[in-house]
Amino acid sequence: MTEWRNGRLEGVRVTEGGDGPLTAVVGQSVLFAKLQDLLAWGRKNSLWPLNFGLSCCFVEMATSFTSVYDVARFGAEVARGSPRQADVLVVSGTVFLKVAPVIKQLYEQMLEPRWVISMGSCSNSGGMFDAYSVVQGVDKFIPVDVYMPGCPPPPHAFMECLMLLQSMVGSERRPLSVHFGPQDVQRPIMPSMRDAKRAERMGQREYPSIDVLPRTDLLSPHFAGQPGGRSKGQS
Amino acid sequence: MTPRVSTLGDASIGEQAGLVSELLAHCGSDGALVAVQSTKDGIPTVWIKRQHLYDVLRYVKSELPRPFPMLFDLSATDERLRRNHDGLPIGTFTVFYHLFSFDRNQSLRIKVALDGESLSLPSSIDLWPNADWYEREIFDMFGIRFEGHPFLRRLLMPSWWEGYPLRKDHPSRATEVGLFQLPPDKLVMTQDALQFKPEEWGLPRTYHDRDSDFDYMFINLGPAHTGTHGVLRLVAQLAGEEIVNIVPDIGFHHRSQEKIAERQTWHTFIPYTDRVDYLQGVLNEMPYCLAVERLAGITVPPRAQVIRVMMSEFYRIASHLVWYGTFAGDVGALSPVFYMFNDRERILSIVEAVCGGRMHPNWLRIGGVARDLPIGWDQLVRQFIDWFPERLDDYERLVMDNPILKQRTVGIGVLSLEDAIAWGATGPMLRACGLPWDLRKVRPYSGYEQFDFEVPTASNGDCYDRAVVHMLELRQSLRIIRQCLDSMPSGPYTSLDPLATPPLKQHTMQDIETLINHFVGVSWGPVLPPGEAEVSTESSKGQTSYYLTSDGSQFSYRTRIRTPSFAHIQMVPLMARGELLSDLLAVLGSVDYVLSDVDR
Repeated sequence: MTEWRNGRLEGVRVTEGGDGPLTAVVGQSVLFAKLQDLLAWGRKNSLWPLNFGLSCCFVEMATSFTSVYDVARFGAEVARGSPRQADVLVVSGTVFLKVAPVIKQLYEQMLEPRWVISMGSCSNSGGMFDAYSVVQGVDKFIPVDVYMPGCPPPPHAFMECLMLLQSMVGSERRPLSVHFGPQDVQRPIMPSMRDAKRAERMGQREYPSIDVLPRTDLLSPHFAGQPGGRSKGQS
Repeated sequence: MTPRVSTLGDASIGEQAGLVSELLAHCGSDGALVAVQSTKDGIPTVWIKRQHLYDVLRYVKSELPRPFPMLFDLSATDERLRRNHDGLPIGTFTVFYHLFSFDRNQSLRIKVALDGESLSLPSSIDLWPNADWYEREIFDMFGIRFEGHPFLRRLLMPSWWEGYPLRKDHPSRATEVGLFQLPPDKLVMTQDALQFKPEEWGLPRTYHDRDSDFDYMFINLGPAHTGTHGVLRLVAQLAGEEIVNIVPDIGFHHRSQEKIAERQTWHTFIPYTDRVDYLQGVLNEMPYCLAVERLAGITVPPRAQVIRVMMSEFYRIASHLVWYGTFAGDVGALSPVFYMFNDRERILSIVEAVCGGRMHPNWLRIGGVARDLPIGWDQLVRQFIDWFPERLDDYERLVMDNPILKQRTVGIGVLSLEDAIAWGATGPMLRACGLPWDLRKVRPYSGYEQFDFEVPTASNGDCYDRAVVHMLELRQSLRIIRQCLDSMPSGPYTSLDPLATPPLKQHTMQDIETLINHFVGVSWGPVLPPGEAEVSTESSKGQTSYYLTSDGSQFSYRTRIRTPSFAHIQMVPLMARGELLSDLLAVLGSVDYVLSDVDR
C-alpha cells in the first residue's frame, strides 16, 4: 500500500496497465496520507518567492527564473509582487540602513507560514560592505532560515538553497487543530552544510586547470555544434 | 596594432593654456582666480574665490565663447587631513565643479576653497538644473549649505541620520558604531520618516480653478515595486491618470563606496568598483584603473589594452541585454527577457572562462589584467559572435517591430537635446536625442581609436529611440569584439612598471629589489605619488568617471565616483510630466539605470 511519509511517497509499485490484481490497481490510484503531511508536501513544492530585489544578488536570482536554470522545476517560479501572497522572502542583496524598515514591514505583511532566505554575503553578514550605511546582516532584525554564501551566489546556489529550504519545509510539523501535546510548529534541526560537506571538500586533491573551457553545448546543443551558428530553417 | 605611449588621448597643452588665459582675461583683474592647479589628467583646474564663484560659473556657462553647457559633476572634499598642499589655497573643504563643453571637447574643473565657520556657497541650480541633487548630496555628505537651494535636505542618508559621512571625522565602518537594532520605537520612527508629505516638496494637495476643483492623488511606487528595478522610490502627483509631478526618493542602495575607497588600498578597491554598477563588471574597473595608472604614470601594454576592450564590450552587451529584456517586460512583453537572459548566460560563460567570475569579475589590475587569456578563448568568442547577429535580428522582430511596444513607447518621455545637456545626460540617453557623442570616439582611451565602429544615434529622444540606440550599440560592440579577436596582439598582459599591482611573481626570486617590490606591492599596496587624476569612460549607461586624489599614501585621499544613472534618474520627473501613470514605467524602463549606480 502506498503511504505518504516524511513528505514523500513510500511503497510505490508501478505495474503496467489496469489488469493486475485489485490491490495493485488500488495502490496506483489511491493514496493514504496524513493531512498534515500532504499539506507539508504541498507547501514544499509551491514556495512562492516575493518579487523583491535589493542589489546584485537579485540579478542572479532573476537569472534562475529564466530558461537556462528554470526554477519552475521546483515550483518556485511564481514570483509575487504582494507580500501577502508570498511564502519566501529572499533577501537578495545588501541590507541598507534606509531600507531595513521596509524589509521589516514586508516581512510582517507576509502571512504565516513564511520563510526567509538570506542570499549573498551582504545579507548574511554585511560581507565586504562594512560601511556606515549597511546593516551587518539581515538577521539583526528578521529571522533567517537559510544562509546562502557567495558574492553573488550563482543561480545554481540559489536553487540548492531553495531545495534545502524545501527539505526543511517538507518535514515541518504544523498542527492543523488543537490537540494534545505541543501546539507550536515543530521544525526539524537542519544539519550545517559546512559540516556535511567538509569531508568531501577537504578530500579534494585535483582541481581543473584554468585552461579548461566551459561546456557551452550545455546551454543549447546547436550553439556549440555548429560553428556557423544556427541555420534559418531551425528557428 | 602598434604599441601606444599613453592609455589616454593626450589633451593638447595649447587648448588648456588657451582656456585658462581666457578665464584670466575675464576674472584675473578682480582677483577672482586664485590659482591654477596642474593635475595629472590635463583638465584645466582653476581655484576661484568664494565670493566670485557664481559670477565665474555664469560666465563660463553663458558668456564665454564656446561655453560649458553641461555640469558633469559636482562634489566636495574634506581637506582637513591633507598633508600635501602643493602651494594651493586649500581650506577645510573644497567644492569642485566639473564642467564640460561639447564644442571644445574639453572639461573644466573649478574649485572653491571653504574655510572656517561658514560652510556655505551660492546655489547654481538656476544655471544648471541638475545641480539640485549634486548640491543635496554635498549637503548630505559634508554638511555644506547652498544658499538659494529650494529643497536642501538629505538625499542619500535617511532624514533621521546624524552626522556627515564623508567628513574625515565620521566613522567609516558599521562595526565602529555598534550593533544595529530595530526595536519597535525605532521601527515606528524610521517608517514615519519615510512618510511622504506633499507640503514638504511644495506640492499642493488640491487644485482650484474657475471651472474645476479636485484633489490630487499621490501614488507611492517603491522601494519594493516590481517596475522600479530595485529599491527606487517615486512618489507621483496625479491629476486623474496624468502625472503632474514626481518626487524621486533615492538612497535605499547607498553602499558608501566613496568612503570605503578611503580605507582600501589602491589595489584592493578594484572589487568594490565592480559593484558600483553590478551589471557591467569590467566597465566599472576601466575608469578606476585608468585613473590610477594616470596617477602612477603606468603604460599599459597593447595586449592588456585589447583584452580590456574585449571584455568591456562583452559586458556592455550583457548589460544591454538585461536592459533590453526588462524594458520589454516593463511595457508588457513578457517573453523577450527569457531569450535575452539566455544569451547573457552565453556571455557570462565566456566571462567565467576568462575572468573566473560571472557578474563581478575583478579582472583588471593596475597596469594590466589579472592573467592571460586561457587557451582556446578564441573558439569561445568566435562561437558567440557567429551566433549572436541572427539573434539580434530575431530580437528586432520580436521587440522593436512589435506594434504594442511601439504604441507604448513612440512619442513617450520625449527629451530635447537642450534639456539632455542641461541635465547632464550622457550615453544612450544623449545619443537618442541626436548628438553622436561617445567617449570611445571623441576622447579615445585604452586604444579605442584603433577600432573601427560607428556611434549610433536617433533623433526624437523618446523611449523608443533610446531602445533603438541600445539595440544598434549591441551590433557595434559585436563589431569591436570581432576586431579584438582578429588582431589580438601578443606580448605581456600586465605592465612591468614597479607600481603595477600585483607585481609578476616570476620576477621575485631574481634579486632583492624585485623581491622587496613584490612583498611591498602585495602586502602593503602601492604608494602613489600625490596628485589628482580623473578619467571618464563610456560605460554601458553613460559616462562613468573616477576622480582620484592621492595624498602620497597607499590609500586614496578622496575618490569621487560620478555615475550616469544618478544624473538620469534625476531627469525622470522631467520626462514623465504630462504623461499617463502607465507611461511612467515605459520611461523608467527606457532610462537604463541600476540602483547601485545611482546611490553608489
